[in-house]
Amino acid sequence: MNSMIAKLAIAAAVIGCGLQAASAETANIWVRADGSNFMPRIVDAFNKAHKDQIKLDIIPNAEIIPKYGAAAAGGTAPDALSLDLIYTPSFAAAGQLEDITDWAKSLPYFSSLSPAHVKTGTYKGRIYGLPFSADSSVLIWNKKLFKQAGLDPEKGPTNWAEIEADAEKVNALGGDIKGFYFSGNCGGCNIFTFTPLIWASGGDILSEDGSKATLDSPQLRGAIDLYRSMVKKGLVPAGAETDVGHDFFAAFATGKIGLSPSGAFAIGALNTQYPDIDYGITFLPGKDGGWSSFAGGDNFVVTKGTKKIEVVKEFLDFAYSLEGQTILAKYGSLPVRGDIAKEALKDLDPRYQVAAEAMAKGKTPYSVVFNDLINSANGPWTQMINEVFFGDDVDGAIANAQETMQSIIDQAPQK
Amino acid sequence: MTSIAATASSARARKLVGVSRRQWVGLLYVLPAVALVTVFFVIPLGMTAWMSLNNWPLMGEHAFIGFDNYVAILRDNRFWNALKFTFYYTVIVTIAIFAVAFPLAIFIERPRPLTNLYRTAFFMPAVVGFASASLLWSWLLNVDSGLFSPAALDLGLTEKKVNLLATFQPAFWSIIAMVVWKVAGFTMIILMTGLQSIPQDLQEAAVIDGAGPFARFRAITLPLMRRTLALALILSVAGSILAFDQFYIILRGGPRNQTLTAVYWIFNQSFVSFKLGYGAALSMVLLLILVALSLIQLWLLRKPEGLD
Repeated sequence: MNSMIAKLAIAAAVIGCGLQAASAETANIWVRADGSNFMPRIVDAFNKAHKDQIKLDIIPNAEIIPKYGAAAAGGTAPDALSLDLIYTPSFAAAGQLEDITDWAKSLPYFSSLSPAHVKTGTYKGRIYGLPFSADSSVLIWNKKLFKQAGLDPEKGPTNWAEIEADAEKVNALGGDIKGFYFSGNCGGCNIFTFTPLIWASGGDILSEDGSKATLDSPQLRGAIDLYRSMVKKGLVPAGAETDVGHDFFAAFATGKIGLSPSGAFAIGALNTQYPDIDYGITFLPGKDGGWSSFAGGDNFVVTKGTKKIEVVKEFLDFAYSLEGQTILAKYGSLPVRGDIAKEALKDLDPRYQVAAEAMAKGKTPYSVVFNDLINSANGPWTQMINEVFFGDDVDGAIANAQETMQSIIDQAPQK
Repeated sequence: MTSIAATASSARARKLVGVSRRQWVGLLYVLPAVALVTVFFVIPLGMTAWMSLNNWPLMGEHAFIGFDNYVAILRDNRFWNALKFTFYYTVIVTIAIFAVAFPLAIFIERPRPLTNLYRTAFFMPAVVGFASASLLWSWLLNVDSGLFSPAALDLGLTEKKVNLLATFQPAFWSIIAMVVWKVAGFTMIILMTGLQSIPQDLQEAAVIDGAGPFARFRAITLPLMRRTLALALILSVAGSILAFDQFYIILRGGPRNQTLTAVYWIFNQSFVSFKLGYGAALSMVLLLILVALSLIQLWLLRKPEGLD
């Protein structure tokens, strides 16, 4: 009975609109709180310029996954969402996402979209996610402290030995000033800023397809020794050992830290919230030079079966335009279209160019169980980094993590 | 729950001799409670039981798999380790709470100057939510910006800043201290009502008979407080077996996953690994353990034959 009435109402509405082929529609989009700066701006710009509209909901970072799962089960999922890119494989594996391969490949600029995003957005050869926002990992240093310590404030370290030497010199200033900072109990922070040290030296922690854990590489061991040595020499504040990420950015922002691995997001945050801190930005180096970066940020994914897919595509197309990319860049994300990145960034802080360059060569581990392995506060990666940086049994911790990781990978649902 | 069951069974018994109007009215009064229990306890419990028999991911289709989840629990070492830690914590924290709450209850039981002030002060932390209290303590315990470590340094108790949360023993005992601070006041009030219900003339008679304070405590106070103790003990044990907030907020299960509790593991399996069905099965196992523990406690502290 109700559905009859609904059908009649829809019919009446259609007749009421006459024969207009496309009446304005509204699509619902979710974004995690990390995007709360740039997302509303770009949605506003889109809504002003288009007949179709986007309704945006901002969801706390930690809640977006369970909330989306519950909404999908109850049939109230949004039409699309901007999702931490590392989750795209597991969402695609769950059969939750719309296959957008044909549309994606029809985009004239498809080949210049952030390769790391497209790689994580691809599952079994089909594309389920496209890049939306981007964040690369970089090394930042405090120029004022470098000067005080007698270092060249314009020159950041370019290999591991220089990192340690610079940190030591800054640390020697004494008082509350420390040479180096990292969040020692935060898996997500360290996959973002610690693995690039390993990648830049030729090692890795996971095989290319995510089917093997490779923690027993000598490059990992070398990077661990660098961090251990700095901890042992007292270059790192005591709080780092238990920091689950709260001070990932905040520690450097106090102005009492010489060097800290961080992300492109720090540029915007420092410029707007801590304008007094003079800082430099460089790549995360390998043992003897070279560099690498994590490619982070969000993929844009479409809920399977949505009826608003045309609106969603229209919106994404707008986000990829120069106007869209410029808005994103201005409010805290790196551009995801390599071909127009320079143009989108041209009026912004020149330090963004370093981050953008890092992004273009950025790397993202691929796994359907990334959350279990890496991001979980109780997963094997988080436990291992804490043990190897601060504990006594490095080899045991690595062996244990290698075994646990491999068993989680092996038990993952194979579809 | 028990009162509802009791009402229902006594109503059934009297049906044989005809149910009076009064009893129907009584039944009407408990209906809202029955409805609440049904909606918020019986139905969710039934759903949890059903989910536990399915492979139920957070996203995507679920499929019936019978008892596979329960079989998987048998091999889940990390769950059994979490359970072991939970029991260890429960024993320690319960002893600690009683060790603090009992003397406090005796201290504030009889009116004397400032008793009301003490009662309020001791009880105050109990009204703070566990999550808020955990946030407060996670700040107090912070090595750089908190209170304890910088204060110890300033007072010359330590030579350098000590990160209390970085190794197991200090981290574990910090949590125990926080929980005792938060819960002892509540347990104290329960024990105090028990103490106050002991007739004063019994104590006086014992004094006349020449019993010392310790003998009076053992022979009069303790036996007459059996029920109160049972209540306080069950509340403490059930609360501790279900501990989650403080370990999640202050320690995140750390240092190095040494303080993962059973509920924490259920949470992880459900919302980090996205295995809701498996989480439901773990919840059912924990529920059974809790029911068994409560029954054992009730039996141990049952009223001895012949007393009153």
